[in-house]
Amino acid sequence: MMMKDMKLSDIPKRNVHQVPEKYFDRLPMQIMERTAAREQVTAARSTPWWQPVRYAIAPLILLLLFVGVYFFSMQQEQQVLPVNIASLTNDEIMNYLNTYAQVETADFEEYSVADQELTAEFLNVSATTAEEELEYYRINDIDY
Amino acid sequence: MAFNQLVRKYQQKVYWHIRKMVIDHDDTDDLTQEVFVKIWKNLENFRNDAQLYTWIYRIATNECLSFLSSKKRKFFLPLNDVTAELMEKIESSPDIAGDEVQLKLQKAILKLPDKQRLVFNMKYFDEMKYEEMSEILGTSVGALKASYHIAVKKIEEYLKQD
Repeated sequence: MMMKDMKLSDIPKRNVHQVPEKYFDRLPMQIMERTAAREQVTAARSTPWWQPVRYAIAPLILLLLFVGVYFFSMQQEQQVLPVNIASLTNDEIMNYLNTYAQVETADFEEYSVADQELTAEFLNVSATTAEEELEYYRINDIDY
Repeated sequence: MAFNQLVRKYQQKVYWHIRKMVIDHDDTDDLTQEVFVKIWKNLENFRNDAQLYTWIYRIATNECLSFLSSKKRKFFLPLNDVTAELMEKIESSPDIAGDEVQLKLQKAILKLPDKQRLVFNMKYFDEMKYEEMSEILGTSVGALKASYHIAVKKIEEYLKQD
């Protein structure tokens, strides 16, 4: 019969696939071996839950420590919040300047020799000695 | 029933059900073993409201479909390339023996979409009742009848081609 006229019912039902010899005799054994192997894996996995956890404890403590330090420093920064100067009264500003401004400008004050109790050793320094001293500390090299 | 007895009773049905879908013996062997491992692991959860063979067939069917879809994903192949690969096996595999008509029928079956191929194999080769197929595949009897009818038409069309 030509294939062009062929219907499915005309084709005899046949299994064209083949298996190696005695395959189905061996298959149950292979399946039992595979189930046994899975059983061993399952047993190995059922170790106490804390076994793997104990390896994680040290890094976990370190992590918590870092997180703690980080949040502590964040809190410290938040406490030093900038003050809105516009909202301050003149008195408050004056009080602040009286309390803190002297300290900040002290470095720029002229050193009053009369007010200080300077040692004779300090006052009797010759020009040459002062030059040597400056040379020693290379003060002249410092560029301001 | 002991598990070993269950394997002996159902191994051939499971194997041939899978083999007709994946064609290659080695793949079928691996999948058949995997199906029985799943049966072994879930046997205590098996509910008696389903027949044992229906449940086993369902596991085998799911395993087949997962394998075929993962094969398509794994190799980034479109559907036709997987079909072409399976057709190549039909032509060249020493584990397949048949005359020209038989081989052409196998190629025509491979042209069907996976689920339709399943329906065709179960009805045509395994001569299953639609009601049994409906339980296994979770599809209505009407849809299965329609699917089988369309599959037969497609196969006969393919057989007419040169």
